[in-house]
Amino acid sequence: MSDMNPALETFSQEVDELLTAMEEALLGLEGAPDDADCINSIFRAMHTIKGSSGLFGFDDVVAFTHEAETVLDRVRNGERLIDAELISVLLACKDHTAQLIQHVLFNEGEPLPEALQQQNQALIVRLTGAPAAGGMPSTQEEKADHFEVDPNTSNSSDNWVISLAFKKDALRNGMDPLSFIRYLQTLGKIIEVIITMPALPRIEDMVPEDCYLNFKIAFNSSADKKTIEDVFEFAEDDCDIHILPPNSRQEHYVQLLANLPEDQVKRLGEMLVEIGALTEKEVANTLHEQREDDDAEAKPLGERLVEKNILQQPVIEQALKKQEAVKQKINKESNYIRVDAAKLGYLINLVGELVISGAAMRLMVDKHGLSDVDDVASTMSHLVEDIRDTALQLRMVQIGETFTRFQRVVHDVSKELGKQIQLQITGGESELDKTVVEKINDPLTHLVRNSLDHGIESPEVRVRAGKPEKGTIQLNAYHDSGRIVIQISDDGKGLDPERIVAKAIAKGLIKPDQVLSKSEIYSLIFEPGLSTKEEASNLSGRGVGMDVVKRNIEALRGSVSVDSELGQGTSVTIHLPLTLAIIDGFMVEAQQERYIIPLSMVEECVEMNSDEWQIDDVQHYVNLRGQVLPYLRLGDFFHNNKKHTRTQRESLVVVRFGEAKAGFVVDELHGENQTVIKPLGKLFENLDGIGGATVLGSGDVALILDVQGLIHHAKKRANPALALLSGV
Amino acid sequence: MNQLIHKQENKTELAAQDQLRQYLTFRAGNENLAISILDVKEIIEINTITDVPMTPEYIRGVINLRGNVVPVIDLSARLGRQSSEITKRSCIVLVQVEYNEDAQLLGMLVDAVDEILEIPEANIMPPPDFGADIRTDFIQSMGRVGDEFIILLNINRVLSIKELSQLKQVAEYEGGNTNKETSFTALN
Repeated sequence: MSDMNPALETFSQEVDELLTAMEEALLGLEGAPDDADCINSIFRAMHTIKGSSGLFGFDDVVAFTHEAETVLDRVRNGERLIDAELISVLLACKDHTAQLIQHVLFNEGEPLPEALQQQNQALIVRLTGAPAAGGMPSTQEEKADHFEVDPNTSNSSDNWVISLAFKKDALRNGMDPLSFIRYLQTLGKIIEVIITMPALPRIEDMVPEDCYLNFKIAFNSSADKKTIEDVFEFAEDDCDIHILPPNSRQEHYVQLLANLPEDQVKRLGEMLVEIGALTEKEVANTLHEQREDDDAEAKPLGERLVEKNILQQPVIEQALKKQEAVKQKINKESNYIRVDAAKLGYLINLVGELVISGAAMRLMVDKHGLSDVDDVASTMSHLVEDIRDTALQLRMVQIGETFTRFQRVVHDVSKELGKQIQLQITGGESELDKTVVEKINDPLTHLVRNSLDHGIESPEVRVRAGKPEKGTIQLNAYHDSGRIVIQISDDGKGLDPERIVAKAIAKGLIKPDQVLSKSEIYSLIFEPGLSTKEEASNLSGRGVGMDVVKRNIEALRGSVSVDSELGQGTSVTIHLPLTLAIIDGFMVEAQQERYIIPLSMVEECVEMNSDEWQIDDVQHYVNLRGQVLPYLRLGDFFHNNKKHTRTQRESLVVVRFGEAKAGFVVDELHGENQTVIKPLGKLFENLDGIGGATVLGSGDVALILDVQGLIHHAKKRANPALALLSGV
Repeated sequence: MNQLIHKQENKTELAAQDQLRQYLTFRAGNENLAISILDVKEIIEINTITDVPMTPEYIRGVINLRGNVVPVIDLSARLGRQSSEITKRSCIVLVQVEYNEDAQLLGMLVDAVDEILEIPEANIMPPPDFGADIRTDFIQSMGRVGDEFIILLNINRVLSIKELSQLKQVAEYEGGNTNKETSFTALN
């Protein structure tokens, strides 16, 4: 058997790769249960393993993978739906197959240990929903060294014609022609086998170890060409293989060709491989031959294929026609370049500097009143703005990839907890800066796990509550006024305000006599040390987590809020800036200091004039067109221990964040500018209300206001009892 | 990290007793102080310091250092004295401190920078246990120059990011509106 070792090694490697691909595809299916590519890839894995194992006579593996393959085939044909249960069984099947292979490779010939046998049976039952029929199926009985040829199936035109010309060394290399043919039977029915011996020498010259047999097999099967070719995968070095599809397939191929999507110009070979009329090997071989005889009459691929009896003429014609049509439809292809993230980061930094020096130039031009320079300067400003936008766009990625990673989390955790949970993803195409995406992963994981653990109830409880057995967690993302909004919602049991209040009182977070609104109560869950689950599980419940989530999100200049309906579910909403690098800012001045407000949050600017608006200077609100608008006098708020001189004309900047509005009273408005965000550093990381800093054209530093944090802070000052509440 | 390095240096200096160490001396709040020259990155003139609101007295603000935003600490205020008046001789001494294995550049506002002194190892004394009106942990050692003693500051303690960023919130409430923060601190 030592001759077989290289073959076994290849086999073992191949199985490893296939199983890895299968796992990936299975996890992919969780996100998109209808993804035909994934289903095919899983099927291919099981199928190829079955085929290869058959060649080596690993009957246990064949028997098991056969069951899996059957189920998968039904999935492929749409007879069985992929659900979480099936995926999890298939994942187990994958692991089991790996174990089986390990066993047969290292304990050759020994029977399966008891544990594996039981696992075998259990998985088959879970797969098929019925216990496996007594004993091993098919291959066991076909062990006999003969195979039946059914003489009744006579319409030979509708059969595959497979010609196998084994080379001399085939037997010496460990190939057993018979085992291929035996295995072929698992795919369909062998109608006829003709054995020819064109190279048979005289009896005295015969070497017993040489192989002189050629086979021509008429084969009736619904399998596709690739599948049939895979049967002979291990023999390809020692055997010339030709597979001619049956005539009935022709129409099928022509049909498939017509239905090919017209989004890409493909080569003839590629198209034929895609519809299954050719296999990649056939294309590679034919092309190789084409290259070799490079004389005047190098024939095109199509002609060669017909000549070599690999494909029929009509199929080639249809393929060529299709190719032409697609070519006309599409002239340009999309191109991608992979770029080092560090290079992009450097570019964006440079663009930041460019913006700042652009502003400095602007300042100089205005200062010296050079009218002829003015035009040039404006053009350049516009260009710089465009460059900025484009540069930032480069780093934008879709959030979908981050979302789909949670499929496995949801899958694994829900199994672990004995709950039935599905994850729905919407808005995955929303884009945001890659640096933000990376940092949002941890908080999101926390929130999803929270929903899994605390939110969704066990199936029994859900049924009793009149809800569908299966819980749903939704991840949603969308853009809203220059920010991205991410929502994590579940249809679980919701937050219980009374329990939160009780817990908060017990922890000394609030006083027993405090009256809080609903949203204020929900915001309490972001406080350190508050977890309403009595017993901690290994997922969550230790009361760290939500406060960390909040801190992480605020570090990204974002905000988080929660809404819930007892018994109906919980929804956590995260607002995040799209980018951490450059924003459009609105510059204001108060008490000789300049501040930047993110432009996306500025609603309007009006004159702070008591003739126009009714202003309550004690309660700090203004009646703005019938709306009560609380306001903050920035100068007073920031330097409340200094004496202030009020300028004659103050302005009111109305800012909006989410649903709420507020006003900032400032001394002067300086208008829009491009703001390159510079981090303030560790020293200020606990500072509420200031989001960062920027360098102005003049070289001075201006602070960027974190509007939400500032309002929160103002509330704290005004009413420390409500200090905890970030809800607006 | 820095302390580790200092320890190593101390060891080598034991071997060579007469080795000299250099210190930058400066004035802050009518006091002569010094830090090891090795801690100093740069000394710059004062341009504009942008005030950062809602921070304690000793955080003077932020400056633009070649495009980077660097915080400035008022050393005199940090040591518990009056905050410095900016004069012609005022300077910002830039130092680098370690925090969570990250280096953070900080500016230190001083009234005047004097000179670079070489003090022999033999003339460096341990800090007094009590009596000094500067927090004892701020003092690394005392250096004798002629007949006078000069305080050598432990820069990693004086400018400890951990302490500076934590004290901030409390100090703000002490310095700010005094009537309301009690319940807030209680909640914390």
